[in-house]
Amino acid sequence: MNDRPTKGCQGCGCSDASREGGAIEGQPARRGFMVKLGAGLLGVGGLLTALPIVGYIIGPATKRFTNVWVDLGAVSVFPAGQTRFATFLNPIRQPTDGDSAKTACWVRCIEAGKFQVFAINCAHLGCPVRWFEQSKLFMCPCHGGVYYQDGSRAAGPPPRGLFEYQWKVDGGKLLIDAGRLPGLEESV
Amino acid sequence: MNCVRAGCCTVSLWCWMVGGGCERPHPEQHAAALSLDSPAAAQALFDSNCRGCHSQGAEGAALPLMNKNYWAIATDAVVVQAISHGQGRLMPAYIDSEGGPFTAQEIALFVKGMRSAWGAGAVGRGGGVSPLIVAGDPALGAQVFAESCASCHGSQGTAGSVTDQMYLRLVSDQGLWSSVIYGRCELGMPAWDDALPNRPSGLTVAEVAHVVSWISSQRVAAHDGSATP
Amino acid sequence: MKVLKASLGWIEERTGVVAFVAPLLFHHVPRNAKWWYVFGSATLMFFTIQLVTGVCLATVYAPSAAQAWESLNYIDNHVPMGWMLRALHGWSSNAMVVMMAIHMLQVFLHASYKYPRELNWITGVFLLLTTLALAFTGQVMRWDQDAYWGLGIGAAIADRIPLVGDEVRALLLGGPIIGGATLNRFFALHVFVLPGAAIALVGLHMVLIIKNGISEMPKPGAVVVPSMYRKEFEERMHKDGVPFVPDAAQRDMVFCGVCLIGLVALAAFYGPFGPGGMPDPTIIDTNPRPDYPFMWLFGAVSLLPPSSETAIMLIAPAVGVLILVALPFMSNSGERAPSKRPAMVLIALVTVMAIAALTWEGTTSSWSPVMNGWSSLPTPVKFVRGRTPLEMQGAVVFQFAQCRNCHSLDGLGGKRGPELDDVATRLSYDQLVRQVQQGGGNMPAYGKNLDSAQTAAVVAFLATLHPANEPDSRIPGAQLSVPTDNATAR
Repeated sequence: MNDRPTKGCQGCGCSDASREGGAIEGQPARRGFMVKLGAGLLGVGGLLTALPIVGYIIGPATKRFTNVWVDLGAVSVFPAGQTRFATFLNPIRQPTDGDSAKTACWVRCIEAGKFQVFAINCAHLGCPVRWFEQSKLFMCPCHGGVYYQDGSRAAGPPPRGLFEYQWKVDGGKLLIDAGRLPGLEESV
Repeated sequence: MNCVRAGCCTVSLWCWMVGGGCERPHPEQHAAALSLDSPAAAQALFDSNCRGCHSQGAEGAALPLMNKNYWAIATDAVVVQAISHGQGRLMPAYIDSEGGPFTAQEIALFVKGMRSAWGAGAVGRGGGVSPLIVAGDPALGAQVFAESCASCHGSQGTAGSVTDQMYLRLVSDQGLWSSVIYGRCELGMPAWDDALPNRPSGLTVAEVAHVVSWISSQRVAAHDGSATP
Repeated sequence: MKVLKASLGWIEERTGVVAFVAPLLFHHVPRNAKWWYVFGSATLMFFTIQLVTGVCLATVYAPSAAQAWESLNYIDNHVPMGWMLRALHGWSSNAMVVMMAIHMLQVFLHASYKYPRELNWITGVFLLLTTLALAFTGQVMRWDQDAYWGLGIGAAIADRIPLVGDEVRALLLGGPIIGGATLNRFFALHVFVLPGAAIALVGLHMVLIIKNGISEMPKPGAVVVPSMYRKEFEERMHKDGVPFVPDAAQRDMVFCGVCLIGLVALAAFYGPFGPGGMPDPTIIDTNPRPDYPFMWLFGAVSLLPPSSETAIMLIAPAVGVLILVALPFMSNSGERAPSKRPAMVLIALVTVMAIAALTWEGTTSSWSPVMNGWSSLPTPVKFVRGRTPLEMQGAVVFQFAQCRNCHSLDGLGGKRGPELDDVATRLSYDQLVRQVQQGGGNMPAYGKNLDSAQTAAVVAFLATLHPANEPDSRIPGAQLSVPTDNATAR
């Protein structure tokens, strides 16, 4: 840039100033145009490329999953007055989930035909709570959350009672409305 | 030259480690690898599921299972029944169909394992007494109690009343039966065939039945509707 | 020799590699930079080991939720030297975190972050965050029960973010549940994104070290004056500095050598970390614990008061990072010597002690119930000897009702509630009944779960927990012993 223009100008006798002033018609204008065009094209192209990438990355946050009624088995395996462990395969599993698609819950049969189905996850930080039939308490091994048999908080750090699944009895089977990992925005 | 030698040593050591299959120093021992009816597995299961109440020696507040007397009297069927479906008000059911953690098969194997671990020395102190309660006559039992039990458990005794209503509401008749026949030797409570006051060779089978039925007859129904065993 | 020289010359002429590297190797560093300065090099060495062993492990590890756990067991038990590679990777990861922490502490105490090395510090802060992220994602790679429930804890914390908690959680997990998408997401972070970021940051950190030089040992009175510092520093280095190779590097080499041998010894002796139980969320007989670098956080979230824990969990990490980043801007001149900066020394001391204490708390987890305490911890002999039948039944009720999960007797049992060896010296009979039935003070109420006979028995037992030499709990009007009207036939 330092040498060439002077060399070039020896031939035509024009000065740097005249050159910048547009003596060689079109050159600077075209250069400015090319830069703008390049930036524009790159910007548009980059945006077009970035859209699917960003969409791919944030996809899981935007996709809405609806819970599905899952069969926990015949009502008769849940005797009245007792709380029993039950497992099911998560309805919104993926082919590569392996064992992690298995999900556990606690089914409390208050009386015949009346249930409470609790998520296994402690309302504090999600660890698996365990039911103790003798003291009629759920205890969490992580930070010591304790719940009564109706799922209400008894002691420890949980900010609320256990998460509950919606349930219904259909054709002698207990169904629950399961899917997403229960979290604090759960209504019950 | 030393360098070369050292290099050769290092390389050959490395080849030996890799090629010779240098094994992981502490392979994980999985409990599942043990057969459930082995004494070691039985001990492990006992330690995590039973030991809280059932004693080893003098410790523990409930019936001592690691007691040779126990394995001489209790049959496998009785032990399996108690573990599976619970016993009285304080022994929970351990079978999965009743909310417990084990299958029927696991419980059967566990009982076999416990017998092979602790039952081997079970010498004939069973003496023909049934592990399950047998009906007796309370009137005769009152006399047996007064003669052979009251010195400790009577109003003047130091071992505490066995007719305390709260106690009787917690203990089933089968539990009373077991207490009488097995005793807690380590804590000073004799077994049924140990020497007792006025009965140097212990109780007879019939006397056990009588005394248990008398203690049971002292139970008054709870006023507050709480469960009776 | 001649051929070697010629070929080196040939390469040098075309690449300029020697001309590029030589100033890096022989640049002058302070003469007094002694053993204090070896920790950064050790951190870098451990990072290199992580890269090499990590690539090796990736040749066998199956990054799929269905197979990851099995592939790790396969590496441990069937791949030649597989267990050793996993052990090296695991131990080196812990060592890297430790070395980095020591390095950071040294820089903090010596105030090496002051002018002109503010950006050295800031790149270091981001390296710390990247390393911790690598450690956490690495724990997920193990895909065992700890990994699964650790993710659950992460998800539950993300879930507490106001308004967008649900979306952040889905972004973290790659979907509405912890599953295959979660593992692959963390795998991509652990092997591509984070190592890439770490390499870039290490490069930047190195460039800054070369550009700004290594700081001298702090001397009281030798204040940093930004307008003069660089010129004076360069003069001092020129006059009094020593070449990095070999004068300073020899110490790095000795220290790194010792570290390496220590690493191999630890790895060979203790073997790899896990994998623990298989990642089946229906196996709930589990006791999830994080890896050591996060134990203090685990302890912290357990000890926070529930009313403020959400705010603290979400805000405190951000504030912490902000403070670290802002540090060189808050004080970038003046004294560097610890003796002239007592407040900073105190801050460092308190931080180290807090992290150590929280790590200890997290490891012992006194707030966690001993989940099988009730069924595995026997009543000690001294508490059953000489007890009445009712008191013995009470001792059984004490086990039966899982009291032992939270209360210890003779040192064994849960530490969540108070030890009960001498409870009868603190509470009278009536108070014991009330405490059992109504709970309170972080104890559940047992009133609905124990009937009158069970309550009477367990309180009768508790009332015996009274060492003979201790005075009674004297509450006016309170009943001190078991009421006799229960014992009709006594």
